[in-house]
Formats: sequence, C-alpha cells, structure tokens
Amino acid sequence: MSLWRGLLASLWTTLRQLRRRDTLEYPEQEPKLGERWRGRPVLTHDPDGEERCVACELCSAVCPTQCIALEGADRPDGRRFAQSFRINFARCIYCGLCEEACPTLAIQLSPEYAFAKTERGDFVYHKEALLIEGTGKHPEYRYYAHAGVRTQALPKPVHCDPRSNLP
Amino acid sequence: MCDEGGQCHLQNMTVASGHAYREYEAEKRRYQSQELGPLIRQEMNRCITCYRCVRFYQDLAGGEDFGVFGSRDRVFFGRLQDGPLESPLAGNLAEVCPTGVFTDKVYHQDYLRPWDLEESTGICPHCSLGCNTRPGAARGRLRRVRQRPHAEINPYFLCDRGRYGFRYVAAENRPRQAQAGGRSQDFDGVLDRLAARLAEGRTAFLGSPREDLDSNLALFALARVLDAPFAAFFEPWEEAKAREILALPRPPAPASIPGYEEILVIGAVERVAPTLPLFLREAQRRGAAISLLRCLPSAFATLAVEDHLLPPADLLDAAWDWLGRRHHRPFLLLIDTESVGPELLHLLRREIGTWPDGSGILPVYRQANLPGASFYAVDGHASRLRAALAGNDCDHLLALGQDPQEMDLPWWRRHGDIDLSLIDHRHSLSWDGAWLTLPCAALSERPGLYYNGEGRLQAAAAAYTPAREERRWRPELGPFPLAAGGALREEVLPSPMALCRALAERLELSERWQERLRFYRDFLLRAAPRPGDPGVFLPEELRARFRLHSAPPPRATDQGWSVCRFSHYGEEELADSARELHSLAPARAAWIAPGQQDARHIRLRAADGTSRTLPLRALPGMAAEVLAIPRAELVFLGLRPGDGVEPEWLD
Ligand code: SF4
Ligand code: SF4
Ligand code: SF4
Ligand code: SF4
Repeated sequence: MSLWRGLLASLWTTLRQLRRRDTLEYPEQEPKLGERWRGRPVLTHDPDGEERCVACELCSAVCPTQCIALEGADRPDGRRFAQSFRINFARCIYCGLCEEACPTLAIQLSPEYAFAKTERGDFVYHKEALLIEGTGKHPEYRYYAHAGVRTQALPKPVHCDPRSNLP
Repeated sequence: MCDEGGQCHLQNMTVASGHAYREYEAEKRRYQSQELGPLIRQEMNRCITCYRCVRFYQDLAGGEDFGVFGSRDRVFFGRLQDGPLESPLAGNLAEVCPTGVFTDKVYHQDYLRPWDLEESTGICPHCSLGCNTRPGAARGRLRRVRQRPHAEINPYFLCDRGRYGFRYVAAENRPRQAQAGGRSQDFDGVLDRLAARLAEGRTAFLGSPREDLDSNLALFALARVLDAPFAAFFEPWEEAKAREILALPRPPAPASIPGYEEILVIGAVERVAPTLPLFLREAQRRGAAISLLRCLPSAFATLAVEDHLLPPADLLDAAWDWLGRRHHRPFLLLIDTESVGPELLHLLRREIGTWPDGSGILPVYRQANLPGASFYAVDGHASRLRAALAGNDCDHLLALGQDPQEMDLPWWRRHGDIDLSLIDHRHSLSWDGAWLTLPCAALSERPGLYYNGEGRLQAAAAAYTPAREERRWRPELGPFPLAAGGALREEVLPSPMALCRALAERLELSERWQERLRFYRDFLLRAAPRPGDPGVFLPEELRARFRLHSAPPPRATDQGWSVCRFSHYGEEELADSARELHSLAPARAAWIAPGQQDARHIRLRAADGTSRTLPLRALPGMAAEVLAIPRAELVFLGLRPGDGVEPEWLD
C-alpha cells in the first residue's frame, strides 16, 4: 500500500513541476535576486558624500583569497582615506567577509554579478571603478557619528593642558 | 585608523580578556595631541597612562624636553610646546609605547599594516656600533626599520639615525641611471667604456669604509688582477686613524660598558653613536665615575664627576693626565675618533698593556665597515694612491661607495684633470661632474657583511627587492602576479660585486679575479656568519698585522683658534639623504662659545687661497677659542679636527 502511495506522491510531485520553469532566457530575462545576494563588492560614500573607507586594511586582512590591496594616505584635515584600492575579481569568491570586517560599512557586496572579461588583467578594478556614487545598502550610516575623532564637530579640548599645573 | 593596529598590546589584551564592547558611560577625556616633528606622531587620546614613555625618555635616554604633566584624569605625556623631540633616541617612543599614542611618522607615510610587511634581518649601516635591525618592506619598498635585539650591541633600542636613516633609499635624487659624461646611458655601454679604460692600466681604485666587505674585496681583487693601486681611504689622515683602530686589542662590546667603574669619554660620542649614551647612563646609575674630555657640548656634562672643556689639540695631554693617575680597577676609554687624530689612538694603544686587566678602548666612528674596508689598504696606500694620481701613473680613479672629493677638496682643486668614475647608491658631490657613474643597489637591497667597532663580523640579509608597482597587469610583464592584480616591475640595480664581475668579464680576467676574491675571502672569513647570527670576531693575527709599523703620526699644531667638527646626531653620509631626518639638521654655520665674538659671519681661508664664509652662531657649553664647523666645510678648506685657523670676523 505504502509503496503505491509513495509512487503516486512522487509522480504527483513530478507532474506538479511541469508548469514551473526556473530556467530563464538569461540575457533577455533578468533574474530576480534575493536581497542578500552577494555580487561584486563596491566602495560607498556616506550620506554626506564623503568616502567611507578609512584605509584600515581590515578587509584586505580578512579576505580569504587575498584579492584586495590598498594603501592609505592622510587628507589635509587628518582623516585617513584610501589612496589606492584594488580588487582582483578574478580571485574574489564573493564570500562577503570584507563587508563583514569593514568598520565603516564602506565596502559592500552589490548585486552585480555579470561582468565577464576576455582578459584576466581587466578583472583588476581600481578605486575609480570600485567607488560608487551613493551610500549602498546603508543609507543612514555615518561611521564618524559612532566612533573615532570627529574632524570638525567638537570644540578644542579644554582640559589636559600640559602647562596647567606648572608653577 | 590607528597605526598601531596589528601590533597593539592594548588591543591584544582587550581581545584576549574579552572586553570587546565598551561600557564606560562617563564623558571620555580628550586631548589636543602635539606636533612632535617629522619622526614621531602623537595621538594622545589612546594613552593608558602606563608611563613607559617617560621612563624611557627621561630615565633611560636622559631627554629633558619630554615629560609627564598634570595629574589624575588630566595627565598628559608630551612636551611643553609643539616641536620636534630633541633626543636622538626619540624614535624608540613608537616602540615602547604599548598603544598607538606614539607611532612612527615616517612609516605612516608609506603605511601598510605590519602583518603585510616582510621583515628581514639587517645591520644598521650608519655607525660603528653595528646595531641589529629588522627592516620591514612590502611591495618593493622599504617601509620601516625596527630594532632587533642583540644582547651585546643593542639589547633594546635603536637611535633615530638607525631607525630613519634608511630613507636614503627613497631619496629623490638617488641615482638610478648609469651616466657617461653627465648623460644617461645604458649599463652595458658604460661598463664597456669603463672596461676599456681599465684595460689601459692607468686607473687607481678606491674602496669605501661604508660599503660591505664583499664589495670592497671585489674591487680590491679587481685592482689586484690589474696590478693597480688600491686604497680604502682617500685621506692619509683617515687611513692612519683606521689603522690605529684596527690595531687596537679587541674592544669591549657596547653592552659591557655598564660593567666598568671608571670611564673616560673623549669627544662627542653621542653625536657619532647616539645609542651609546644609553649604556653610559646605565653605567652611571650603577655608580661608575664618568670623566669627560670634550670641546663640544655633551649630554653627560651634568653626570660626569670630572668635565674638561678643551680645544681639540689639548685632548691628548688631558687624556694623558687622566691615565697618569692611579687606577686599580679596569677602566674604559670611549673615544669619538672624529674629534681626535690618529696620534692619540696610537699613543693610547701602545700604553694599553700597562693598564689594569680588563681595561679597554672602544672607538666610535660613522663608517659602519671601516675594519672590513681597510685590511688590505691601510698602510700608506692612500698616499701611494694620491701619488700615482698626481704623477704620471694614473689619470683615472674608480671609486666605490665613496666620493673622494668629499674627503679632500683642496687636493682635487689642484688635480682637476683626473677622471673620476663612481659606483654608488647615493648622489654625492662629484656625481654630476664624474666621467662615468654607475648606480648600485643600496645596502638594504643586497646581502652584506660588516665589521663593527668591536671587530665583530655580522651579516645582513637583503631586506627587499626594489620594485615599482604597475597599476595594471600586462601579459608581457610575466604571469599574473599579485593576488590583488597589478604587477610589481622589479627595478633592481646591480650590486658592486656584480659590477666588478661584469668588469672582470669584459677584461677577460674573470678567472683570475674570482681566484683572488676567493683567496681573500677565505683568508678573512674562515667562518662567515649568517644573517641573524651574533657575529664572529676579527682574528687576533689580523689585528696583530696592524700593530707593526708604529711610528706615531704627527700631531696637529695649535695656534690660536682651532677647528673641530660640528655634527648633528642624524648626520652620516647615507642618513644625510634621508629627508625626514635631514630636516632636523641645524643650518650650516660655524659655532663658537657664547660671548667670544660679536661678529655675525666668519671667513675661513684654505691653504690654496679659496675661502668660505659662514654665519656665526653661539653654542653654549663649548670650549673657548674653538670653532666648530660642519664636515663639508672642513673638507672644502682641507682642515682636520685640531688644526689651527686664523678666522676673519665679518659683520
Ligand atoms: S567577497 Fe570575499 S573574496 Fe571577495 S573581496 Fe570580499 S573578502 Fe575577498
Ligand atoms: S575594511 Fe572598510 S574602511 Fe577598512 S580598508 Fe576595507 S573598505 Fe576601507
Ligand atoms: S607609553 Fe604610551 S600609553 Fe604609556 S603612558 Fe606613554 S603615551 Fe601613554
Ligand atoms: S647607534 Fe649607530 S649602529 Fe646603532 S642604530 Fe644608531 S647609527 Fe645605527
């Protein structure tokens, strides 16, 4: 009995699939991606239009394929920024660890997945190609509102003047 | 963005103890950090009030311009005002501070996380102590140098010259192109021309006390197979001094200084070997009696039991007086060989047998490999070389790692027709006017062997291969290179050894040259140390060779004003090209004791009639009737420390 039940159930399941189709005619039809889709990493700006990346090199440290290389420099106001930023997408496995590690939410995995190249060298994206206009998936986040020195906002510290207790 | 990240004790402890989230509710104290000059960066908000910085800076290094201010939650570590730190050991703050309050500013400009650096084992090439270093490089660039402890030489600390002097490798004017007659040419063409000139047999060879042993031997072997004159020094005076240094019995190690109870310091040792004062202070803390003979201000003036401020020519007699007293316990003489002539060393060396057992002389000088350069070229070779050049034998000088014009300009003014070819990694005075120039790899870019002031042979590994980053990978640069794409295009310059080999090949003397080289190397290096080894000592029989021929060189004459060399602690041929360090050097001037003259300028004349005008500055704490002038001026005028001069005072 249960054998027939089993056979019928599986036949039913198979028949049920006849009307559904997961295969798309890809270039003409775009797939609908899930919200947490992990595609090509990008660098983002904060809501004020400042580059978020502070060149802390945590993303490059955590990247399991070591495809990120960057070097920082100081802005005139003392804030650090990435002077050069390079990701080799021929190696990237879209694991998202860089995004996870980034304290400033600068690096984010975008939904972009279709960027085939004919030459390996073209997979190396520099900062100009990585940096996008907007804030990415965190429209409100300002790292400097949460941590670190605020470059303009605070008044000069009043206490701790080294001369204060000299005779 | 804290530079200490990756090497921060506070961070490590925080993570280890699990305090990953902050629960402190009260307002955090905030500081205005100070601007501490080009070498050290301060970010006072990271301080954990551990006091390591003051304990190092004041108690160990004896610095007076840095300290702790305030109390309770207002405590602040810094200077009274912004400004560069004055101690020549200030760079160590970046290492003693466990958090990121003090970090290395020079490294910051070229910063890469410490886990990305490749560290190797190096030897500091900036003075005769031969401190052990740990250069860190990445992506074809040398980014920082830190200390590597050596129990006998530098147990913990490096001086700023050793820490920041490496930046000469990135000097803007560092030569990278071979030149012929001032015009760039490819290496092969220049080597061909040089080989043709060498084949004429009218060439003299000059080695260098700042180059490593193998480079000197390679050049010496080349001179030998060509049967040409060779010297390691261009100045006979310097050469005599080197010979005296080599003839000394084995000097004590710097780390054994605190074991002495009586120490006589002659000259400004802390300007020559800035790490040395750490040992002297330690000795003083243990109760040693330090005596000073000096003509320039000294950091020990307040510590010494005896302090004599003398013109350079009187140093010898004063040293003699000191030695003449009854000493029962072993004592130590620390000699800055830049302020004394060979005669003092010579006389002291002859006396040393009569001193109590265990006494010693530790000479200091800026050339890191002086014994290594001078073995085969110390006995009147410089005079012979000059005679050959001045006479009809030679009309071409091939100098390696040394600029003969920087040693004695008056002589070159007289013999302007001699062609000069240079092999060097620094843009020296004669570079632009030289006949041929061949740039070579910097000392950190190749392995090397160095004899330090104690006669200890130490090996340095090549720290990195210089390379320029190509932003894009191109197939013609080879297989796909860096993980993150791009490419490193190596910009390797040949080592002096490779250049000598190329010359020997062109002259078809390759085999004889190699045979010679092997012979000298076997003779000198029965057991060559490897990088990281503690080092092996100069064999006594080699030292003994220099104890022969011991006629004392003539003493300088004293007439009225005498000159001595004024130097900045960061000054040394290579370190001079390190931009950040050099920016701290005082302006070019002549220095005299305050209240001696109202003039504002001074004119000094050389024997050949050329003259030099220098601004006059007062330097508190120096001897009367002494003029301290920088080395470049001494060389221009053809003067040596201790020589008498007749200054012309100008307004
Ligand atoms: S997604 Fe993963 S592999 Fe790709 S850059 Fe980020 S960390 Fe590296
Ligand atoms: S982790 Fe973020 S802030 Fe740090 S370097 Fe990478 S992208 Fe920049
Ligand atoms: S060593 Fe660093 S953390 Fe310690 S007191 Fe000094 S500045 Fe503060
Ligand atoms: S004392 Fe001399 S050898 Fe040591 S770090 Fe300083 S310059 Fe280098």
